[in-house]
Amino acid sequence: MSGADVGGGGGQKRHAKKGRKPKKRMKIRIDMTPLVDVAFLLLTFFMLTTVFRLPNAFEIVLPDTITVQVKVPETKMITIRVGNDMTVFWSIGIFTAHRMPYEALTDSLKAKKAQWESRYTPQQLKSFEAFPNDPNTKHPDWIFKIVLDRKAKSKALIEIVDKLKILDMTRFTIVPINEIDKKEMAKAI
Amino acid sequence: MAKFKKARVNVGIDMTPLVDVAFLLLTFFMLTTQFKPQEDVKIQLPMSHSPTKLPESDVMTIHVDANDSLYLGFVAPAMMEAFFGPAYRDKQCCSVKKADLPDLLMKARGMNSKIRTLIKTDANNEFGMVSDILEILQKTKIIRFSIITNYDQTGI
Repeated sequence: MSGADVGGGGGQKRHAKKGRKPKKRMKIRIDMTPLVDVAFLLLTFFMLTTVFRLPNAFEIVLPDTITVQVKVPETKMITIRVGNDMTVFWSIGIFTAHRMPYEALTDSLKAKKAQWESRYTPQQLKSFEAFPNDPNTKHPDWIFKIVLDRKAKSKALIEIVDKLKILDMTRFTIVPINEIDKKEMAKAI
Repeated sequence: MAKFKKARVNVGIDMTPLVDVAFLLLTFFMLTTQFKPQEDVKIQLPMSHSPTKLPESDVMTIHVDANDSLYLGFVAPAMMEAFFGPAYRDKQCCSVKKADLPDLLMKARGMNSKIRTLIKTDANNEFGMVSDILEILQKTKIIRFSIITNYDQTGI
């Protein structure tokens, strides 16, 4: 404990030289154990309670439909409708919807991506990666229209867009439900 | 064999560096800890795979809680005060009517052109309200916005 007990010796010598009565210096030794205990206790508390993870931001960019009207071929467009009981209605174009369970949507989306990929050779697909910002080559060119019933759970929207983003199919739009959608959902197979 | 009797070495450990480090860490954690603020509105967040961190400034948040009530909040206390009066200066958000939302959003964008829009919606509430908000956002030309989610570590 060299650090704690150097206090006494030097001082006494100095006083003796000047001929004064040497002051009695108390040798102070502080037991640091409780201090260390408390320090570590607090340290553990703060380490355990600190949350580095904050909620994430899930960005959605909608097409500007008011100023720009884009005409899309019906064969490239896929409408995903979600009913109030979370059933998914899938249709190429706008009409003839097919009913499927919500859980099956991931597989359908993957199948669509595979269908797009099958049009190209692996070399071509690889070459697309050289132009990551070209929307015409990199991404599968399906255009998704997402329609949710007003009574559906709102997390469905986030989950569907999330799946599309992960599968790199980033062309989508979210539209409020209208009468055509309701009719299609009613007569879906 | 008594010859080899070992002399016992008095071991004294200098604890000073240990204490130094302990206090350094303690200070770090004390200063970095942000206790979760008391939520004005209770919302169970949906899950997504987006790795993007939530922006901390220049943010306005549209809250929709499980009862479909609508709230608007700003991070900047000055903005809160400008919109909802001094009583709301330190609040997170204030209840607003759906009909007033377009004007409030326009006004907010007028005051701070860099402001980003976040939607904080309960995972299990009905889509109707969110649909209306999306429509309002599109009408007010806010086509880029974010939804606050928790990070989902599982696959799709």
